[in-house]
Amino acid sequence: MKRKIHLYGRLRDAGLGSCVSLDLPPRATARQALAALKAVLGGRGALLSGCALASADDVLAASDRVPARGALAALPPVCGG
Amino acid sequence: MRRITRARLNPAALAAAVSSPRRGAVASFVGVVRAFHAGRRVVGIAYDCFTPLAETELARILRRAEKKWPVAAAAAHRVGELRVGEASLAVAAASAHRPQAFAACRWIVEQVKRRLPVWKKERYVGGAGRWLPGCALHRARARP
Repeated sequence: MKRKIHLYGRLRDAGLGSCVSLDLPPRATARQALAALKAVLGGRGALLSGCALASADDVLAASDRVPARGALAALPPVCGG
Repeated sequence: MRRITRARLNPAALAAAVSSPRRGAVASFVGVVRAFHAGRRVVGIAYDCFTPLAETELARILRRAEKKWPVAAAAAHRVGELRVGEASLAVAAASAHRPQAFAACRWIVEQVKRRLPVWKKERYVGGAGRWLPGCALHRARARP
């Protein structure tokens, strides 16, 4: 399945813009999605260290299935306030 | 009132929103962009945010605070480009007595820093910038 993943924080400086489209296997997990994103990042894969995948409602655990619809985002460690 | 906003924050409005004749203590916190960090002169901070999740998460944090303490709580986080001296985070917690109001207000601030999907890029004199390090996100085991 094709899924768009929005990029935030330091991932915006990876040269991919604010969003990347990934071709994921059916019933892919968050772990698989992050691995696919790492492959796209190539030599800048270290930027994904500490990152999580999230929907609009929640942060996904590594073993969670990637939802088929709705916003998806790769989130670096946060520092609000 | 939107909790995640590009507009200037109004801490007094947040305090008013949680105040009532039964609450004799209103604790508030305002986080402000400061001019120096780690020895560098800061001219501003760009706040990036995954807004849908940030709205949901901030609502969860406030609900949890209101379960942990007998308080009414409100908070708002500004995003976008902020200059030195501008408020980025405002929190208010009101209770009958001050210990609960102080405790809840502080807890909310700490939770925002650990859990809200917000990132800041400091901008320095001369034009350089840097994304600040932070806390890795994990899904909470139990939701309120």
